[in-house]
Amino acid sequence: MQFSLNDDQRQVMDSLETLLRRRAGRERALQLTATGGYDHELDAALADAGFFQIAQAGEHGALDAALAGVEIARRLGVTGFAASALVAPMVLGEPCEARVALAEAPANRPVRLGGTAQLLLALRGDEALALETEPDDWIAVDNNRAGYPLARLREGAFDRARSLGAGSGGRLRDAWRVEIAVQCAGLIKGALELTVDYLRDRRQFGRPIGSFQAVQHRLARLAVLAEGARWLALEAAYRDARPDLAATAAAFAAGGADTVFRECHQLHGAIGFTREYPLHLWTVRLTQVQRELGGPTRHRRDAAQMTFTNPEVLALSVAPAV
Amino acid sequence: MEFDWTAEDRAYRADLQAYIRKMLPPGWRGYDQTDRPAYKAAARAFAGGMAEQGWLTQNWPKDYGGAECSAWRQAILGEELTPIGEPRGSQYMNVNWIGPAIMRFGTEAQKQYHLRRIAAGDVFWCQGFSEPDAGSDLGSLRTRAVRDGDDYVVTGSKIWTSHVGIADFCILLVRTGAPDSRARGISVLLVPMGHPGFTTRHIASLAGDESHYELFFDEMRVPVEWRLGEENEGWEVVRWALQYERVGSTQYQRAALQLAETAEAAIANGAFEDPEVQSRFGEAWAACQAARMLTLLVYDLREAGSPPTADSNLSRLISTDCLKMVAQLSAEVLGLEALDRAGPAVDGVRNAALSVAAGTAEIQLDRIAIDFLGLPRGK
Repeated sequence: MQFSLNDDQRQVMDSLETLLRRRAGRERALQLTATGGYDHELDAALADAGFFQIAQAGEHGALDAALAGVEIARRLGVTGFAASALVAPMVLGEPCEARVALAEAPANRPVRLGGTAQLLLALRGDEALALETEPDDWIAVDNNRAGYPLARLREGAFDRARSLGAGSGGRLRDAWRVEIAVQCAGLIKGALELTVDYLRDRRQFGRPIGSFQAVQHRLARLAVLAEGARWLALEAAYRDARPDLAATAAAFAAGGADTVFRECHQLHGAIGFTREYPLHLWTVRLTQVQRELGGPTRHRRDAAQMTFTNPEVLALSVAPAV
Repeated sequence: MEFDWTAEDRAYRADLQAYIRKMLPPGWRGYDQTDRPAYKAAARAFAGGMAEQGWLTQNWPKDYGGAECSAWRQAILGEELTPIGEPRGSQYMNVNWIGPAIMRFGTEAQKQYHLRRIAAGDVFWCQGFSEPDAGSDLGSLRTRAVRDGDDYVVTGSKIWTSHVGIADFCILLVRTGAPDSRARGISVLLVPMGHPGFTTRHIASLAGDESHYELFFDEMRVPVEWRLGEENEGWEVVRWALQYERVGSTQYQRAALQLAETAEAAIANGAFEDPEVQSRFGEAWAACQAARMLTLLVYDLREAGSPPTADSNLSRLISTDCLKMVAQLSAEVLGLEALDRAGPAVDGVRNAALSVAAGTAEIQLDRIAIDFLGLPRGK
């Protein structure tokens, strides 16, 4: 057991931090939101620095990819990094350079970062399908007011998808759940940090509103959600997306996302709903990610079924002496 | 970063489980504490046996007969003992913070007298902290200790004290400074139970028979050499001890075990087939697992030698939340059966009491807001 980063991880995370400070952040995200764009420059910088191969290096590469994914989401990168570097290698069994998007079949529903994806991994029952896509295959969802760009597959495009074999669906579902947990963990942390900063500065009744206990206790509860979401996401990645842990991590993170969305906006007041102020950059993305794969309810049910109806799985967590 | 137990840790857990199976009296889980002599004898035998194995004070420094074991061993110990009803009785307090406080602040004579007894698994302590008018605001306590020659004369009362019925000693907070001296005028006394002038009253409690007592001090004379630490500097002792009280409480594993047993009952009675119920189980399970990670993080910080941080407040808060979620689910899936403790029911009242003990949830929230998030203090 060791919760701190080892030397290699620290080095990697430091260099990621430097990269994100230059390439990501609120201003960049606001620019991209205005044009509805994907951040190809950020992707290229991450690729140059070797981050897309992160899951292949070291003993617990998926953990390293998750650590990076949390930070990229927190720093508002508009990139499919976590889908490419964390999910695709688990599903394909090899590293993946392509821009990856994730969908449930039928894939004509809105897909996060769909329009710019080169490879779509789709879940149909217990089967995963792969589809190489061109920009022409996608139709942008144009009333998408903020958040990650969304697109739908054009009619018929999905016919070209190839199956990755019976049973591959479970692996995609589990890996995707870790990705959801990773995304939510980073976005929750970012939204909370902004909210805490704002409430430290904002004064009413002659004092910072963050000094009111009624406000403090609500923020303290969000801190518990943020930290819990991050550690569960990292553990699920460390355990290579073990199905019950992936569902558990997604249940906690996606379930907490609702609360974080509601509370951060409420505590900010009107300014939080404006496009000029950056809160929406985290919160709207959060509402997108948290409703994927059936949302918190399905994650919770699966976590419960996987854990409590399987004595071997339960015994991994609960095995009292008497 | 690494989330696996070492082979050594796993071997220790297996040995500990074997010991528990051998030593735990039948029917200990859900043990009725009303038969105090039997309860005390069982807890003493369990702790004494641990002492023989070298496990009771394995977290202590070598100089005091400990093994300076890793914090992870303490985590494993907690994970195994907390869910099954803490077979050491109140001795977990002795070894986790009262003994260490005596090592840090005690005189040579105090160390000689107390540490040996604690290490043998022979004595039980209680904690005379809260008062009728000093609960969360502990710094306002009023039990007075007036110096008279080589004695203090102690007058006042304590309340909500647990484990009194089996206790041999009390670690007692008294005011030695001026009435308004707050944290600057508090001292700590180590007093044997039944000392002249010291009486107790049992308070029947929904939270367990040994949960609540009142302590009364009527001009109790206490030799000055029973004071732990310097006069008026007891707050430092308390702060130091409370950090250990809150660090790494493994209540999450108690919640997880209760949830697993509730799920078993829900599967048996058909309630688990309801998708809404399944979702609630998943939600509670995820919270228990988050509590586990947030608590193990605290052990990791302790192992790394970090000074105490507000991470322990996050751990405590989410752990007590979990206990309440589990109790609510138990009530829902078992209905009135949940009130029959002979069955798989969770004692919801007792679970609810845990977010009051060892610092209320509100105090944990305050600490998280100020120390963890860095929010400004109120007026």
